[in-house]
Amino acid sequence: MSEILVADRLSKHFGGLIAVNKVNFSIMADEVTGIIGPNGSGKTTLFNLISGFFPPTEGRITFFDNEITHIPPYERVIKGIVRTFQLVSVFNSMTVWENLVLSSIRFKEKHVSLRKFFFSSAKDKEIKENCLRALKLVGLQSNAQALTSELSYGSKRMLEIGIALSLNPKLLLLDEPLAGLSDGEISEVIDLLKQIKKNFTLVIIEHKISKIINLVDRLCVMNEGSFICEGNPDDALCNPVVRECYWGKREIS
Amino acid sequence: MHYTIFYGLTIGAILYFISIGLSLTFGTMRVINFAHTITYTIGVYILITFVIFFKWSFPVGAVLAILAIIPIAYVIERFIIRRLYGDSLDYTFIATFAVALIGVDLIKWIWGPAPYPLSDPIGKYLILFDVSLPIYRVLMVISAILLFILLHLFFKMTIVGKIIIAALDDKDGVRCLGINVDKYFSLVFVMGSALAVLGGIFYAPISSIHPYMGLAILLLCFAVVIVGGMGNLKGTFLSAFALGMLMALTARYWPQGAETMVFIAMAVVLIFRPIDI
Repeated sequence: MSEILVADRLSKHFGGLIAVNKVNFSIMADEVTGIIGPNGSGKTTLFNLISGFFPPTEGRITFFDNEITHIPPYERVIKGIVRTFQLVSVFNSMTVWENLVLSSIRFKEKHVSLRKFFFSSAKDKEIKENCLRALKLVGLQSNAQALTSELSYGSKRMLEIGIALSLNPKLLLLDEPLAGLSDGEISEVIDLLKQIKKNFTLVIIEHKISKIINLVDRLCVMNEGSFICEGNPDDALCNPVVRECYWGKREIS
Repeated sequence: MHYTIFYGLTIGAILYFISIGLSLTFGTMRVINFAHTITYTIGVYILITFVIFFKWSFPVGAVLAILAIIPIAYVIERFIIRRLYGDSLDYTFIATFAVALIGVDLIKWIWGPAPYPLSDPIGKYLILFDVSLPIYRVLMVISAILLFILLHLFFKMTIVGKIIIAALDDKDGVRCLGINVDKYFSLVFVMGSALAVLGGIFYAPISSIHPYMGLAILLLCFAVVIVGGMGNLKGTFLSAFALGMLMALTARYWPQGAETMVFIAMAVVLIFRPIDI
């Protein structure tokens, strides 16, 4: 397996607060990496650094051996780094189908031809197929014409993942995809992730460790901005430092 | 009474033209743009330069004024507003207010502080319900309604329109689609400024042209945007005409209170619907 993304001594400071502290981190192709850690340990900040939403204070990031440290988020998406958010991010005033069309259109801004000016260019066969594929994967076919604001939170989460998939990512970063979902919805999302993990390189931040333990190939544990442990999920969870950080000293003694 | 209603529609149309840009700028970029009406004022001064000084026809002056404002608006967005994205609202308020004040002084420096009169370019009247209505004002109201329909179609049917609607919902979400959303912010800003100038061009012949004309109408437009919902296009349209009508009706019975009434209406909306704002 080859490394597709490498973070080298990556740091992010917010004034005096060190959110991510000289992290060395790599993501292997076709692997599912889980990132866990207590609240405020720097997991989401790390995602924001990888996806370009925050500039790093120091360090560099390479993606397929090209440096991407200073390129804006939208260019990283074009290169294949796609993310979702902790609080679900979908376009509420559009229908489910329009959400997918907008993400499938692969709008190349430098070539705005008249044909691409109208949204009806979404009738292009290629775009339609891409949308249908994503719609089918996330199981929202019956809601295609529904207004997104009317969907349940779980369906919105599925749609957000659908949007991410329709962008054909090389690396998909999922920030707490199970947060705020019911047990039934959690199983649906887990089933979907199991289904897509064959085709994508996934990185998942999650609090519900038990839910993702069977999904991930590698587990990284963050605390106070650093990685305190990484490796096989079972080994990582048995690591005394991790147990202390999660359950306190009494538990391990 | 018919005339009062018609007068209300006229004010509503002007408020609508100017408020769209303000609403979109806040809705997409989260910038309270106090500099919005400075482009409106500059546009009107460019118009009178062509019409009064060069003696060109009104429509030609109007088109040139709108075209001239496009690069000016772009420069303001690119070098001032864009630096304020993501900053707190008070920073954006101070910076854009400074731009407005610099603009006012610049106008005084170039064109002088004295007001200019501009006459109704059509000067004909339409008799409707026994009331004679200036055709110019009728055109103004019709243009506002046409603009509303055109904008509705633009946001519904074009990709650019959909991207802007998506950015009103969630701009980071749009970035995550691989779209350079900042470019669309520039477009929204320039479009909003051009529409404000269009409002100014319509308003100029029925009011007086002076360096502070923009600041005078700015607060009314803020009231329109707050009542209509920031970034809500349909809301802006309805609120512009509702507040325009409120102003006209109040002016009929209590002339001094016309503007005050608008802010009372705004306060009532803020009290009863605080979540959207």
